[in-house]
Amino acid sequence: MEQAMLWGVGTSAYGRFPDQRVESLAWTAVAEAVRDADIRPDAIDAIIVGSVFGPPGVATRIQRGLGISSVPMWTIENACASGTSAYHEAVEAVRLGRFKCVLVLGVDQMSTLFSGAIVPEATDPEGASSLPLPGLYALQAQRYVSEFGVTPEQLAAIAVKNKSNGMDNPRAQLRDTVPTIQEVLDSRMIADPLTFLQCCPTSDGAGAAIVGGDRGNPDDLRIEASAMVSGALWDQRSEDVWGFASVARAAQKAYAQAGRSPQEIDVLEVHDAFTIGEILTLEALGIAPRGKGAELAPSGHTTRDGVQPVNPSGGLLSRGHPLGATGMAQLAEIAWQLRGQAGARQVDRHRVGLVETMGGGAAGMDGNACVVTILSAQA
Amino acid sequence: MSELGVGRPTKRRAGAAVGGLPVADSRPVLDGDAVLGSRCTVCRYPTTQQGLPWCPVCYEATEPDRFARTGKVWSSTVVAIPVGTRRPPFGLAYLDLDDGPRVLVHLAEPAVLEPGARLEITGTDDGDLVATRMEQ
Repeated sequence: MEQAMLWGVGTSAYGRFPDQRVESLAWTAVAEAVRDADIRPDAIDAIIVGSVFGPPGVATRIQRGLGISSVPMWTIENACASGTSAYHEAVEAVRLGRFKCVLVLGVDQMSTLFSGAIVPEATDPEGASSLPLPGLYALQAQRYVSEFGVTPEQLAAIAVKNKSNGMDNPRAQLRDTVPTIQEVLDSRMIADPLTFLQCCPTSDGAGAAIVGGDRGNPDDLRIEASAMVSGALWDQRSEDVWGFASVARAAQKAYAQAGRSPQEIDVLEVHDAFTIGEILTLEALGIAPRGKGAELAPSGHTTRDGVQPVNPSGGLLSRGHPLGATGMAQLAEIAWQLRGQAGARQVDRHRVGLVETMGGGAAGMDGNACVVTILSAQA
Repeated sequence: MSELGVGRPTKRRAGAAVGGLPVADSRPVLDGDAVLGSRCTVCRYPTTQQGLPWCPVCYEATEPDRFARTGKVWSSTVVAIPVGTRRPPFGLAYLDLDDGPRVLVHLAEPAVLEPGARLEITGTDDGDLVATRMEQ
């Protein structure tokens, strides 16, 4: 088994760019990743693209501007985990010796598809019944609150923490002001108990990465683990709230691969599409015991100067959420953090990082897919 | 140049509720005094899914079944944004039917209910199941 390494990362800015082409967003990210990896484009011997709403043939439409011809190339759709699912396939391919240098790309342009919240999928029972994604997360939150007694202030603290971090992220979509906890709670209700400032914006953007073998470059990051799981039935037998179990399954696999415990992780980027998502994810990742995840942000544990900073980039709540690109944006942030290149966002302890992306929304399953990857700096 | 995205088909199947083409209805069906679905002939796993190739739990054969209209709230919320043709506020709950699956229902009265509260599915609204709180 080859050791897979992360050679380089790049992203576009995140925001609403309806006047840009999908390709333009992607090319910006690819160009930065190729420069960052210090390779020529013709070193790339496969392309894997993650996208949910990209046009048919999105990978080829992007490819035609790159001059990387005839290599194996394919597109993966795994909801919000599309980008990191593409990355996972690249890691597996390199590990198995199938390719030496893979371009991974995540891209989505939502502003030309939705004017507000994402329209629920009409072919799905829940979508047909008008359950929007914030509603699904609100149902998680209500159940969780009734079981563990989480306060509205604890939920809002996630938004305040991540939006504070996002102020130092020049690529983030939302960085005008940092709301107070009261302002988060006073913002208009979307789905009880989730208020507007507890929901990520829909966004446009792209993220790219170059994954390859060990070429002896000390700047490359070691990919200690990459685990991807699909969903399992979530139904009347389930004691966990929707989505929890899929994250836990992926996390267990990733920790086993890396031979690490949750306490050894220095910095994390996790899927905070809604505030409750960060709380549940950190419990599923073992960063907090069950029912204690809501204490992490108010206690300072997960703030940028805390023991285990979570979403130093500002997370989805600040950066925005172009579904297919989100996982790659998370990966880029962890790469910059591990290399000490995160500028004003840089966290102190940054040897081992973790990225978690959970995509979901299909009724009756605990997620469409979840990817957890653990990386470390060599120095 | 026309406004981007307006009046053009998009990749997402929006369904008739938001002006798209109609799609096959996948929602649970209320038939008089019962919710329709299927149950495994061996492990008795109940589901509102129709036309399954086998039981998704034990892979044995399933048969059509009818489930009680009554059950307990797993979780509930009130949605405060418009979704499709639905105007806010509207209440949604996951309801664990007494002898059957967990189903998503619309609440007759938009309010957050405590888990365990008893509900009865009393009808449908444009195909959505609608549930009402039962008297204690």
